[in-house]
Amino acid sequence: MKSSDTSSAEPSNDETDNSQIYASQSEGSESGRFDMSSIVEVPRWQRILKAIDLPVQFLRIGLLVLIIWAWESRWIFKGWSPFGFELFPEIIPLFQGVPSEAWDFILDIWDDSTFWADFWVTLQEALLGFVIGSGLGFIVGLLLGSFKKVAKVLSPFLIFTNAVPKIALAPILILWYGVDIASKVALATIIVFFIVQIPVQAAVSGVDPDLDVVATSMGATQFQKFRYVVIPGILGPLFGALRLSSIYSILAVVLGEFIVSKRGLGQRLLYETNNFGMGKAIALITILAGLALVFNAIIGMMERRFLRWQDTEARGKVVSL
Amino acid sequence: MTNAVDIENVSLVFGGEGNNPVLAVDTINIAIPKGQFVAIVGPSGCGKTTVLNMLAGLIPPTAGSVQRNGKEVDGPSRDVGYMLARSALSPWRTALRNIEMGLQIHGVDKATRRERAHELISLLHLDGFENSYPSQLSQGMRQRVAIARTLAIDPDLWLMDEPFGALDAQTRLTVQGEFINLWERSGESSVIFVTHDLEEAVLLADRVIVMTARPGRIKSDTIIDLPRPRVIDELRFDDKFKEAEHRIWKELRDEII
Ligand SMILES: Nc1ncnc2c1ncn2[C@@H]1O[C@H](COP(=O)(O)OP(=O)(O)OP(=O)(O)O)[C@@H](O)[C@H]1O
Ligand SMILES: [Mg+2]
Repeated sequence: MKSSDTSSAEPSNDETDNSQIYASQSEGSESGRFDMSSIVEVPRWQRILKAIDLPVQFLRIGLLVLIIWAWESRWIFKGWSPFGFELFPEIIPLFQGVPSEAWDFILDIWDDSTFWADFWVTLQEALLGFVIGSGLGFIVGLLLGSFKKVAKVLSPFLIFTNAVPKIALAPILILWYGVDIASKVALATIIVFFIVQIPVQAAVSGVDPDLDVVATSMGATQFQKFRYVVIPGILGPLFGALRLSSIYSILAVVLGEFIVSKRGLGQRLLYETNNFGMGKAIALITILAGLALVFNAIIGMMERRFLRWQDTEARGKVVSL
Repeated sequence: MTNAVDIENVSLVFGGEGNNPVLAVDTINIAIPKGQFVAIVGPSGCGKTTVLNMLAGLIPPTAGSVQRNGKEVDGPSRDVGYMLARSALSPWRTALRNIEMGLQIHGVDKATRRERAHELISLLHLDGFENSYPSQLSQGMRQRVAIARTLAIDPDLWLMDEPFGALDAQTRLTVQGEFINLWERSGESSVIFVTHDLEEAVLLADRVIVMTARPGRIKSDTIIDLPRPRVIDELRFDDKFKEAEHRIWKELRDEII
């Protein structure tokens, strides 16, 4: 594993990892044999320190301070027009929002019950859209991947439906499902469905056919083959799709709320922007990003739990070098 | 007494309608009494795997009849253990859980299958690697796990498709020894052992069948009259062994050269 790949390097630094061992050089060489007792496990605090990687943290914090400073001082709103080409337009003060305003707003809304009502609406829409869309996408992907005849019949329909820019359906969905949460859930469901269905269907074909032969020769039923061969075999691509879906479900519901809605963070964001409450808008955008990150982190935790064997596969390779 | 296997006038054609059909197996007859260890050798593509697939109930013959214990094979059976040429372990299962897979499919309870898997782990000298994933095992260990998985269900017919083909010479000798011990102590189990390696066939089997190049027919069928139990690493240097191997080699040579 390369140290630059921090996201995949982190799981290998948990406490069950015993691959990071080293031998103290001074011992064990006299007999001409490697002395296994000279293997010392790296102390826990050293491993934690290595996982934290202080220089990287310092650089990150430095960069963050720099960004906030450039923003708070309104330097970024000055505009920049190299060679007379207006690459970054100058922003008039009315349209400017700075982090301190956003921060004040966040402190305010903390005990504002209408904010939490909006938050809950958006969270509900996104969760429902995510669960229904990825659930259906998983089932349909699994079935189409397994039953090639059905997939053949349906493929032109699915290709066309997928080619539709889904957000173009939003106004229609609002007419059909109303201005409340159902229309936003529907939009998120449709977007998430394809994000999951397509890779799952492809992954089913990618499962090692030998494993299927082994299971068949042992007399496995179709259901047992799903359970013991297909589903474990597609978990990798499935989790990749779920991570993406978690972010797109939020995107979909915010967009739906922009169009028409009574409640929700997207609706609130549009309102604040239209009334030049730029600090508030920035705060709301940050909250939405935070929500997406939490979704993503929960899925990441499940992924590490279910794909532990892939982690060890990577470790096994490193050790055998 | 009924035979473990009766293959009567069996032919198999791949890709029947449309794109040019291939006659893989042409009118073969093999009768195997219970408890016999039969090796099948033959050039690549002569239909050895196809014969095993028919016995495992994975594909039906185009013509003729394939019977086990006097009954027509009509699908996979719990009494047949099939080991593919590639070890085909589930990468997400530990060695122990790979070995348990057949038992799990058969609905055996967890305690029983765990006990059986541990038994095979020690018989195949895999102690200490119960919780390793396939990617953490050596080639020879993976092959041992695949053998254990095949035998965990206590099959009375063992179908082995080049089980040791991917192993180096020394490892192969060790694993062959372990395998023959398992079979000798299993009592009445019959084995059909496909291999490219004539020496391996003569060392292990009671009987060696040579198949012709495609379409596969039976070229010769020879009883190997060497005493059991066999100490295979020594038997290799025995004159009777060498004589038997040479006799069959003359048959096989015409097919592969
Ligand atoms: N699914 C299939 N569809 C079409 N032809 C096939 C199929 N499987 C095997 N064949 C053909 O049948 C013949 C016999 O194949 P088989 O796999 O039984 O050979 P084999 O004796 O096991 O060869 P090897 O020693 O290389 O494993 C080959 O010529 C092969 O091309
Ligand atoms: Mg073969």
